[in-house]
Amino acid sequence: MTNQDENKEGIGGMINPRRYGIERVAYLLMRLSGLGLLAYFIGHIYETSTILKGQIGWNEFLALTQTNAGHAILAIVIAMCVFHTVNGIRVMLGHGGVGVGKPARPDYPYIPASQNIRHKMGIYSAIILAAIAMMYGLAVMFGE
Amino acid sequence: MRESIIMKIHYGTALAAVALVAVHILMRLTQGFAESLEYDSVITNYKFLPYAGMLEIILILLSIHGFNGLRVILLELKQGKTYEKAVSYGCVVAMIALIGYGTRTIIMVNTGMT
Repeated sequence: MTNQDENKEGIGGMINPRRYGIERVAYLLMRLSGLGLLAYFIGHIYETSTILKGQIGWNEFLALTQTNAGHAILAIVIAMCVFHTVNGIRVMLGHGGVGVGKPARPDYPYIPASQNIRHKMGIYSAIILAAIAMMYGLAVMFGE
Repeated sequence: MRESIIMKIHYGTALAAVALVAVHILMRLTQGFAESLEYDSVITNYKFLPYAGMLEIILILLSIHGFNGLRVILLELKQGKTYEKAVSYGCVVAMIALIGYGTRTIIMVNTGMT
């Protein structure tokens, strides 16, 4: 039992992106972006509730977000949102059996059929689209 | 509830939220980004009942999806009967609290209680 506990890597093992290729990176980014978006969502609900304090309260809180730091955070949120969406659709399709390949006898070098080029392209597309969306967001926010 | 059903709800809320959040963001871009955030503009949005209804639906969908996602992450980290129950009930309570708080804002602004 003690040995089992020692072999558990916990959060360190969960967030280690160095093993298992781009799929592991996608797994990590999916969770990080999910947590980030949840934090933003809770903040957004609080932010919008300041409208109940009237125009002065709303403008005061809005001023906090209309700064360079506020815009940078929003740009990161946009990137997280796009990555989470695109990669989420990829994961959903994978769970539904789309693009995971056909079952086959496991032969050396034991490459899983599900970790194929289609899903890798999906992950890279999610990262590229997130970067493009972030750039667009920055252009909109800083372009005014 | 079975985990397979929970995951179907997780995916269903995700797909529905993507569509509605896209509408929510496009509404910001129909005007200039800054103008759309002006007090009067936001109040007008809240008072438009179909839009307020859409905000309420987004609030519910994202709360369910977000807190179930958090629950899944926490259950991946550690297992155990007591821990799993605490995480599950904790996430449900947090979800209800967030929906309640957001709904309060929507109702109060929509009915002019500002």
